[in-house]
Amino acid sequence: MMELKALYQKRKHAFWGKVLPFFPYVMQSGVAVLLLISLITFSAWYTTFLTHFPVDFPVRFIVFFTLALFIAHVSFRTYLREADVVLLMPQESIMEQYLRPSFIRGLVYKLLGLFLIVLILWPMVIISKIDILPIWLLLLLLTVLKCVSGYGYWQEINTISQSTRRLLKLMRFSVLILILGVWLWQPIWKSAIFSLLVILTYLVVLRIPMKHRLAWENLIAIEKASASRVMLVLSWFVDVQAEGQKIVHRVWLSSIGQHLPWKKELSYKYLLQKTLIRSELLAIVIRLGVLGAFLVGWSGGSWLGLAVYLLFIFLIGAQLTSLRQVHEDSPAVQYYPIPEGVRKNTVISVIISFLSVISLIMWLPMLFVPVGQLTIKLSALGLGAIFIVALRATWIRKWREEEE
Amino acid sequence: MSETPVLEIKQLTGGYSIGKPVLHEVTFDVKPGEMVGLIGLNGAGKSTTMKHVLGLMTPQDGNILIQGSTKNEAPDLYQSSLAFVPESPLLYEELTVREHLEFAARAYGIDQQAYKQRAEELLKLFRMEEKADSLSMHLSKGMKQKVMIMCAFVARPPLYIIDEPFLGLDPLGIRSLLEFMKQIRDEGASILLSSHILSTIEGYCDRFIVLHRGAVIAQGTLENIGEQTGLRGATLENMFYALVKDGE
Repeated sequence: MMELKALYQKRKHAFWGKVLPFFPYVMQSGVAVLLLISLITFSAWYTTFLTHFPVDFPVRFIVFFTLALFIAHVSFRTYLREADVVLLMPQESIMEQYLRPSFIRGLVYKLLGLFLIVLILWPMVIISKIDILPIWLLLLLLTVLKCVSGYGYWQEINTISQSTRRLLKLMRFSVLILILGVWLWQPIWKSAIFSLLVILTYLVVLRIPMKHRLAWENLIAIEKASASRVMLVLSWFVDVQAEGQKIVHRVWLSSIGQHLPWKKELSYKYLLQKTLIRSELLAIVIRLGVLGAFLVGWSGGSWLGLAVYLLFIFLIGAQLTSLRQVHEDSPAVQYYPIPEGVRKNTVISVIISFLSVISLIMWLPMLFVPVGQLTIKLSALGLGAIFIVALRATWIRKWREEEE
Repeated sequence: MSETPVLEIKQLTGGYSIGKPVLHEVTFDVKPGEMVGLIGLNGAGKSTTMKHVLGLMTPQDGNILIQGSTKNEAPDLYQSSLAFVPESPLLYEELTVREHLEFAARAYGIDQQAYKQRAEELLKLFRMEEKADSLSMHLSKGMKQKVMIMCAFVARPPLYIIDEPFLGLDPLGIRSLLEFMKQIRDEGASILLSSHILSTIEGYCDRFIVLHRGAVIAQGTLENIGEQTGLRGATLENMFYALVKDGE
């Protein structure tokens, strides 16, 4: 019988062995410099902020909001493949051997990330002298909540009904965020009793829905989407395919593309717009856009706000460039009569249109916040537009060089 | 029936590596309003021939002309003149069934009104109306195959290249497909069809090309092949068996 733990390790090494060789190229593309600059800038800003710490700064709320963003997030890399439905299924009863390392890694790495966030936030807690639970207790609480989240997520994966799965996910997020809030605002003894009762109820509820013993197909689909996400990130920097991305129907966006003029030259644009509205890329870009809008608004009409605005235009643009690889080897190229040269122009056009719209939306908070200089606000808009034109020229030149 | 072929393959030699051709001087044509069956054992060269016609492979020798031009001479005309239905469905997971049809219609430059009419006809014919707004990733294999077929038929080019279309289709789907192929053939379209289900295509194809080990070993109407095999009046399956058995 195949040694399942060894198989997991083999697959893990095979996947990362394929990905890691690209990292030097990623670093060479300016990411290392950008990361370093961002780190230095953030450190300098944070130190200044702590030195001149505002008296009425809502530290408790910031700690809650920041941790709430990450507390429920769990993911497991299983490296399962489609053929496993035939080849590994006979060993389903002992698949725990295969999956255990996946659970441990999934939880440990995310917990370490949470601890790092706590360490960054904690100086604010110390300076503000707010009455909050001790750090060791907070770390312990986060560990427990993360484990509960991991267990809940696993039960969701195995749940047969898709709608129940969604409900359980909503419940998990609500339970965890509620418990976190209680611990930050209520006395320890009350929080402990409340958490115990809520977690026990949650665990009981988790037992109710019908479940697969092991949801093979769901796990394989999740793994495919996770692997594709890694390739998607890589594709922002190097020319790799990001196949198998998660697809979301988003019926409310279905009208996009339908109103394109009925011209043969626009057929590829139709395909690309449909692809974008149902891709994971759209979700990533929107999340980044919302974060960008928030930070731009928070920074107000200052030079820092302008710099943040341009940074987010760059980040979103870099992500959108992965659209170039989306249909590189697809049937459209081989079987449908897409005229020569149309694909490259269409990709650029879709990226620039979308980037322009999202950049305008990100700028609006800066315009409407009542602080800052109007000249800086208008300059940000103008510089943003110039930056987008410059990005367009850079991408066209870079892609032409790559093709040559 | 006009005698100018829509598809003309002349002395085609080709394959995956130089010096080891899979196809050996393959020559045949498909005329307007003709349905031609391309038959052969696994590995006989049917799919390779189709890949050459589609332009996915370059001939080592010989020529392929569609509407009188090679792909190099008139790439847009060449590509717009044919629609392909592959053996395994190749769909965009993020597009619904209707969006696939719309994309195909746009790509082939079909008039919008004509597209709407054809799309509705095809959805009804293949009983896919209820699935029209479902993402293709949620369809069964047979349904995916139906979408591929509908995409080809919504375009209405002069030539269809159809590779093993019956795989995964239910009996009603097979009948709808055969009837529709017959209808568009009667309207003047040409079809090159590859299939192993000889009893099914026997009554529908006008001519047959028998490929064996990369070479055409017989071609013509059922009667012609009957004469070549000395089995006049026999079924296509028996004639085919006689042809390839002798070649083994």
